Amino acid sequence: MTSAAKRLTAFAFALVFVLAAFAACVPGGEKGDVLTLMGKKSDMEKSYMKRIFDLYEEKTGNRLEVIEIEDAEYEAEAEKRFKDGRGPDIFMHFNNADLGRFDVSENFMYLNGESWVGELTDSARAYCLDGDGNLLGLPFWESSVSGCYYNKTLLDSLGLKPASTQAEFDTLCRALADIGKTPICWAGNGCSWMYQFALDPVFADDPTLLAKLNSGEISYADIPEVKAMTEWISNAAELGWFGDDYLKIGWSEISDVIGSGDAVMTFIWDTWFYTDFAAGKYTVDDFALMPVFMNTVDGGTYEGGNLNMMMVNKNGGHIKTALEFLEFCATAENYNAAFDGISTVSCFVGQTTNIQSHMVTNASASIEAKERVSTAASKIMGYSADDVCAAFDSLFRKKIDVDGCVKLLDENRLRAAGK
Amino acid sequence: MKKNFEKIFSLVLACVLILASVLIAVVYFNFISKKIFEDSTAHLEEIYGQVNSTFSTFVERNWNLLSDWGDRIAIVGDDDYTASFMAYEQGRWGFSEFYFVASDGSYIMPDGKRGALEEDCVPTGGEPVMASGTTSDGEEVTVFSVPVGENEFRGFRYSAVAAGYNNADMAASLKVDAFAGKAKCFVIRSDGSVLLSTQVGGSVFGNFLSYLRACGLEEETLASLSDDWENGRRGLIRCDVLGESSCILYLPIGYRDYFILSSVPMSAVSAGFLSVQQITMDVLVIIFLMVSASIIVLLVMRGRRLSRKNRLELRHRERMFDVLSNSVDDIFIMIDSEKFTVDYLSPNIERLLGIGCAEAKKNIRVLEKCAVNYNVIFPKEELDAIPINGNKYWECEYMHQTTGERRWYRMTIYNTSIGDVRKYVVVMSDRTLEQQMNQKLQEALNAAKSANEAKSNFLSNMSHDIRTPMNAIVGFSVLLEKDADNAEKVREYTRKITASSQHLLSLINDVLDMSKIESGKTSLNVEKFSLPQLFEELNIIIMPQAKAKEQTFTLRVKGAPPEEVIGDKLRVNQILINLLSNAVKYTQNGGKIDFTVCELPDTQPQFSKLRFQVSDNGIGMSEEFQKQVFAPFSREINSVTNKIQGTGLGMAITKNLVDLMGGIITVESKLGEGSTFTVELSFALPEKEEEDMWFRHRVSRMLVADDDIDVCRTIAEMMKDTGVDVEYTTDGRRAVEMTVEADRRGEDFNVILLDWKMPDMDGVETARAIRERVGHHVPILVLTSYDWSEIEDEARQAGINAFMPKPFFTSTFWQVIKPLFLGQADQVHTAKDVPPEIMNGLLFLVAEDNELNAEILTEMLKMEGAECDVAQNGQIAVEMFEASEPHHYDMILMDVQMPVMNGYDATKRIRASSHPDAAEIPIVAMTANTFAEDVRHAFDAGMNGHLAKPIDMAAVRELVGKLTKRTDGGADA
Repeated sequence: MTSAAKRLTAFAFALVFVLAAFAACVPGGEKGDVLTLMGKKSDMEKSYMKRIFDLYEEKTGNRLEVIEIEDAEYEAEAEKRFKDGRGPDIFMHFNNADLGRFDVSENFMYLNGESWVGELTDSARAYCLDGDGNLLGLPFWESSVSGCYYNKTLLDSLGLKPASTQAEFDTLCRALADIGKTPICWAGNGCSWMYQFALDPVFADDPTLLAKLNSGEISYADIPEVKAMTEWISNAAELGWFGDDYLKIGWSEISDVIGSGDAVMTFIWDTWFYTDFAAGKYTVDDFALMPVFMNTVDGGTYEGGNLNMMMVNKNGGHIKTALEFLEFCATAENYNAAFDGISTVSCFVGQTTNIQSHMVTNASASIEAKERVSTAASKIMGYSADDVCAAFDSLFRKKIDVDGCVKLLDENRLRAAGK
Repeated sequence: MKKNFEKIFSLVLACVLILASVLIAVVYFNFISKKIFEDSTAHLEEIYGQVNSTFSTFVERNWNLLSDWGDRIAIVGDDDYTASFMAYEQGRWGFSEFYFVASDGSYIMPDGKRGALEEDCVPTGGEPVMASGTTSDGEEVTVFSVPVGENEFRGFRYSAVAAGYNNADMAASLKVDAFAGKAKCFVIRSDGSVLLSTQVGGSVFGNFLSYLRACGLEEETLASLSDDWENGRRGLIRCDVLGESSCILYLPIGYRDYFILSSVPMSAVSAGFLSVQQITMDVLVIIFLMVSASIIVLLVMRGRRLSRKNRLELRHRERMFDVLSNSVDDIFIMIDSEKFTVDYLSPNIERLLGIGCAEAKKNIRVLEKCAVNYNVIFPKEELDAIPINGNKYWECEYMHQTTGERRWYRMTIYNTSIGDVRKYVVVMSDRTLEQQMNQKLQEALNAAKSANEAKSNFLSNMSHDIRTPMNAIVGFSVLLEKDADNAEKVREYTRKITASSQHLLSLINDVLDMSKIESGKTSLNVEKFSLPQLFEELNIIIMPQAKAKEQTFTLRVKGAPPEEVIGDKLRVNQILINLLSNAVKYTQNGGKIDFTVCELPDTQPQFSKLRFQVSDNGIGMSEEFQKQVFAPFSREINSVTNKIQGTGLGMAITKNLVDLMGGIITVESKLGEGSTFTVELSFALPEKEEEDMWFRHRVSRMLVADDDIDVCRTIAEMMKDTGVDVEYTTDGRRAVEMTVEADRRGEDFNVILLDWKMPDMDGVETARAIRERVGHHVPILVLTSYDWSEIEDEARQAGINAFMPKPFFTSTFWQVIKPLFLGQADQVHTAKDVPPEIMNGLLFLVAEDNELNAEILTEMLKMEGAECDVAQNGQIAVEMFEASEPHHYDMILMDVQMPVMNGYDATKRIRASSHPDAAEIPIVAMTANTFAEDVRHAFDAGMNGHLAKPIDMAAVRELVGKLTKRTDGGADA
């Protein structure tokens, strides 16, 4: 071989290698790609998650490397990985305050222009937005609607109807109390979610309040609705609308109270009826849904579900494939296959195989009008369910008054936020 | 009985009146309530009749408007105009939406929006409709619709037009401001479903009939309501809704099965009327309360007045009872039988038993503290055993808690019952006087027995004691007659007769003395007397007796007792002689007798308490005899005492005399070792005379030499007040040295006092030595308790100026040395030195009714060289005196007890007579009574002296020396 031929041969090999290397460096959805997806261990064990992972690998030939992190270590481990540049291609996280630990704009892609955005229900889409209206991820999770679930059968027998305004709700409670019925099953023993239902519209309807609160510009005391809610809860307790033993009622007692008809209403979410409710005198068919009224918004409110989002690491090595994976998941055929038989509120407009409760279905118009994204618990920095419970427990036990309770809520919040 | 009847009658009357008042009030208020209800419901019906009318008008108006709009739209036929027209009308009439309604319920709105109304909202049969509906936005509204002719709007075929009115706006037209806003008004249908509610948030009421059922309304009432509503009947019921009396009024609107229903709490319905009723009731209640209060106040005031009166009366009674009980010695107690607490206790308990009334009221068993013969004075079992209205008593002795006085009570406990309350009334009747009287009677009985025994003993003793000397007198008198020629035997017999007579006389004197003392007729002759003189006289009497038995008799004065005291010298003398004589008598030969005098501290400055102590080392007394040593006729019987003569009355007399003087006498004795009698007597002190004679006579230093240091110290102590500086020594030689030394210094003693008997160098030798060394310018006295007559000559030759008897007294001392300083040293003598011949040549007038006594006296005077005239009674004596020449008689000896005229009267007559000697002639009483009062009577009668029978011629000589101022025989005769 001549030197020219050698040189040509060497050039040709070098070219091949360079091209091969270049080809290897170009992002793309070529078959055989390996995507890394990181999520909490318990989350990854959900059946619909496994189904969609399997379906994806089966249909695309790509492989998903699912990184399961223990729940307790999840936030810290993920934060560490992102800081070390070892973030996964797809990161699963709820759109809550903890997401603030990650530099969202630096680490994740905004998905506003993705083709599947129109496939999301309004509430699901709203949940996945950041404060600037950027879509942070694809919600792929079972969902629910939190509201005031009431015993319709019982209410009808009493000649009463559900409320559509705060005044009606108060009248309803008073009428029920007058005839000796406990209007609301209030789980005063450590159950915190009721409070966030009422606060959601306050912060969801005016996102500037949330920003000011989190920045320390204002406090709860500066927000009239917080005191209004606290006063209403205090008065309701005083008037007997929660019954006599509400401070003893915890998570495990709600089912009995509701199922027996001892209380007519409770603030819960629809999937609870399928996971924790044990039918008593009344079954799930006897219940219906109306908004939660706690004097923060006149028309009442529902809280949408907290959804686990699939977020794309903009610094990952398989961005295109990752985006394709999200698109795969948002396809009706695929998500219906994944959520087939799952009791959940629909997150996609074309979702048909899931089981949605009659309560949600019957109240869908109202839900559509009054549902708010879960905001208080997830977005208020330092919001601690336990701290809120502790403050209200002191109020119920008359250790503090309404103003004292608001002050304590603030103090607890600031302490938890490290301020 | 009558009172009880009145009480019952009053009670029944009061009950009837109260019941009648309550009945009237109930009837009245029922009537008023009924009336108020009727008026209130009429008012309610009237108001809601107007509401119903207004609402009907509203409905009719809506239908009419719809009908007009339908016609107009049909006539115009322009869809755009129609749309703008209806928008204008919507703003004008306030409905929410306007619908062109097809027969199937579908509609199109002026803005082209389509939808469907509920079936009820579609008019059928050509009748207008009013029904609940929902707007396109889901808002609940009331839909009014009227049928119109078939027409078309924007291509939509419709047969009716309809308008939806906001329910809240509709409800506003039904709202009534009356009834304090508590009225709830609904538009319901016959099945109870609610179309409208005036209540804020009232849309939650779906079916009023169901709600009423849930509220607890009875099924019967619900059925009645349902029936009325089904049949379009108006009605009004009063029922309890949720525990509150409410009034439910329902009025058919006149369209379909719609009703106006109002539910108003009765309190709101009748509020106005009830307020009037309430005011009326309040006024009535206030009047009733005021009347009641007035009655109660009057009753209370009356009760308090009665109570106060009762309390006052009770207090008066208690006070009276307290006063009564205080004035008697009975104690009264009332005890609650159940609690055993004291309800009443007479206050005299403190006086009678020394227990505080308050203390005893707290616990009556405190009485047991002072009960002598019972431990438990209120035994509960015994008290409980006393029947109702019965009693029980027993005797109990108590001792006063502070004074120790014993009291006896008969305790009678009555079990009384007042109402159902049982009380024990305890009456403690004082039996002390009775008991004491019994005791005294017993004592008197014992005393009588004892006296009887004593009398028997006395007679027995007297019989023996009198017979013994009498036997000797009689016996020796017989022998005297027989041996009259034998001068020696005559002298012996006479001496024995005299001795027996003296003994008999002393026996009689003692008996009489004792008798007088015991009869309480003895009185004391209190006057100032000199203690030194008393001791000198005692010394004179006792010293010879002691000397005869070779006994040592020492008279010792401790401290500085006063020299002059006020008392009965005679009786003091008698006491001390008794004690000292006994000491001599019951002490063996060679024994020792000490007589000590000292002054005891006395709290009274004008008194001096003296202790006289007589100690001997004689035979002593048994303990048994010591207990009765002061009893009359008590003599210890033993081999020694049997040989000693005695009446057994001496110590009894002594004891009685000491008692009479307010003193005490004690005895300590041991058989075979001796006895000590101690007498303590208090004497008043005479006012002190100023004594500056020591200073005036320049007596400032003296020397005392006595081997007994106590004597030296006593003298120094006694001389302290005189200002005389006393130096002393116990040695004669030292006394000489001290005198020489003083002389050498030119500071001679002013007087030297030497004890006679001192070891080594006695007083005489010492005096001699002093005289040899320093000369004769210092007076030297010898102090002695012995008879100095035997050494007097030797002493005077040795240079002793005078003698002084022991014990030392400043007054005696002064009396002795006074002549020395005045140059009269040789003129010192005493009354005992009266010469025997002093009576020689004197003439006495003797008044004596007893011839034998007169004869004896005459003979005895003759023996003294004197003569006498005898008068048989006082009268004769007076006559003889008055008949005598001046200075004829030297002295009158006057018997006291004489017939015709006694001695006292005779003396008074003599003193009162005009005889020149009447005032001055000495008259001396002669009496067997030697008591002080006898002496006083004698002096009171004007006599100058007193002689006890039998007459002692020595005493006569002394009196003569004293009263006639004669110092030797016949000087004045």
